[in-house]
Amino acid sequence: MIRAANLHKRFGPVTAVEDVSFTAEDGMITGLLGPNGAGKTTTLRMLYTLVRPDKGSASVDGVDVVTRPAEARRALGVLPDARGLYPRLTAREHARYFGELHGLSGAALDKRVDELVDLLEMKDIADRRAEGFSQGERVKVALARALVHGPRNVLLDEPTNGLDVMSTRAVRTLLRRLKDEGRCVVFSSHVMQEVAALCERVVVVAHGRVVADGTPDSLRASTGKDSLEEAFVTVIGSEQGLVQ
Amino acid sequence: MRGLIATVFRKEMKDHLRDRRSVLTSLVTGMTGPLLTLVLFSLIASWTRQDKVLEVPVIGREHAPSLMAFLARNGAELKEAPADHESLIRAGKLDLVLVVPQDYGKSFSAGHTADVSLVVDSSRQSARATVQRARRLLEGYSQQVATQRLIARGVAPELARPILVEDLDLSTPERAAALMLNMVPLFLMIMAFTGGLQVASDTMAGERERGSLEPLLLNPASRGDIVLGKWLATVSFAMASTLVTLGVFALVVRQLPLEDVGVKARFDGPAILSMAVAILPLAFGASALQMWVSTYARSFKEAQTYLSLLVMLPTLPGALISMSPIQAKAWMFAVPALGQGLLAGEVMRGESLGPVPFLVAIVSNIALALVALAATQRLLSQERIIFGRS
Repeated sequence: MIRAANLHKRFGPVTAVEDVSFTAEDGMITGLLGPNGAGKTTTLRMLYTLVRPDKGSASVDGVDVVTRPAEARRALGVLPDARGLYPRLTAREHARYFGELHGLSGAALDKRVDELVDLLEMKDIADRRAEGFSQGERVKVALARALVHGPRNVLLDEPTNGLDVMSTRAVRTLLRRLKDEGRCVVFSSHVMQEVAALCERVVVVAHGRVVADGTPDSLRASTGKDSLEEAFVTVIGSEQGLVQ
Repeated sequence: MRGLIATVFRKEMKDHLRDRRSVLTSLVTGMTGPLLTLVLFSLIASWTRQDKVLEVPVIGREHAPSLMAFLARNGAELKEAPADHESLIRAGKLDLVLVVPQDYGKSFSAGHTADVSLVVDSSRQSARATVQRARRLLEGYSQQVATQRLIARGVAPELARPILVEDLDLSTPERAAALMLNMVPLFLMIMAFTGGLQVASDTMAGERERGSLEPLLLNPASRGDIVLGKWLATVSFAMASTLVTLGVFALVVRQLPLEDVGVKARFDGPAILSMAVAILPLAFGASALQMWVSTYARSFKEAQTYLSLLVMLPTLPGALISMSPIQAKAWMFAVPALGQGLLAGEVMRGESLGPVPFLVAIVSNIALALVALAATQRLLSQERIIFGRS
């Protein structure tokens, strides 16, 4: 479970996140929806401990991300905006390296990596060096290393960005599976269809604030709009940055 | 080694040993210094070797039989000059040619100054020694004949020689050769920097450029562990390169005609070992410093630019020492790079220093490393470094 309470972050004169609060439950996919520049990435970065909030607090399974960051990172699997790979390591070696950094080793690690290779359907690239991987293959490797330690909570920053249809479907299947396993899944997106297709819960962020929070249905109901897209435009108060 | 440090270390070693091109580059770079020394040293030695037969190709031998006899008597080997001698000299394939003109005999018998020409290329260093020997022989002959003529006319030869100039040349090629050996510590110190340069650029700036730093920092491994693991990998590469260079030097020095040019330098087993102990600790400080600087760079290329400037750091004290050996004072051993250069120099000269200067040099480099590593670790918690990509 991930809780964010009144998160606030400024970068110099720019306020990236004004006031963001939400709770993401276990066994549920929570979508952080908002136009570009709304503060989604900064919010996620605060949750995964790499950006220190100026105000407010956040916790992962009850562990405060500011005071006990290493422990919080243990409970988190993160697909950040940056998905750089090591060109001279194979896909499998990427997962192994991150597994070892999480304290896994030996047969347990081997087994876990094999599972991920199956789960992410990356048998054909598992022992190839990452140099020259396609965008979709790169995301698979990045997902494998994010999930290698079997985290209870999964954060993904625009996971389907730049992916083709097949890779997008593979990612969606994975997210549903993680949910079915009872994990807490949070992902950010500026794509309406994505959120509508996947989420039980939508947190709409605009100008660094949460402007709506609820199920897609309750969002539609509270705005009086039939489509989620129109509801979205209504709550953020403009048509900026919307992708169909 | 703690577990996570070892994990990071192993990954970086595997990653960078697979980078065949840069491993090969640093091996080749490591051998350049010693091989350059070998070639230059052998060349200088071969020019100065006195026992070499002085070959004098002559045109018009028949015009000056007594001069030829004098030259032959003094060890010169006379032979016919090839027809295209001028181009041969210009190409450096022939050192000199002596030309005796047809009217030599007439002028000589009449007591006039008889001209002979020495065809040389004065810009050729390699011919300098031969030309000098030939000229000295010719002047000797001239002097001998002059003396005979003066005596025949009842004049004391000293009258015609108010001043006798004798050369006392202190700047001999031998000294130049010795200077080359003084470059050995400098080459080694440069390797302590360049050996880990690729790794330092790639593990910090490269990690930022690729966008793999953010995922890496998402692990529970502390930044300290990550920095230490990367540092150990960089140090390993720097030390390995330095050792390769030292090894090749050890092999090369055996081939050098040290005695021929009168150089005394110790390059036996213990001396090589002491040299390693003197130079290797520089890798601690150098690698940490390189990682620190590299972390500021947004890209691999940018880091390499900064780091190649950083290589200048040891060359300044190193070159100073190799050009003019200075009297070592205790505090100098505590200055990274300067201390290494001094220690290696002393070892080469065969001085025995005791363990204290070596320890001082090691401690000072470790202290430098700790400062740089702490700074690097601090940088890794700054948002502009983690997220700031080009």
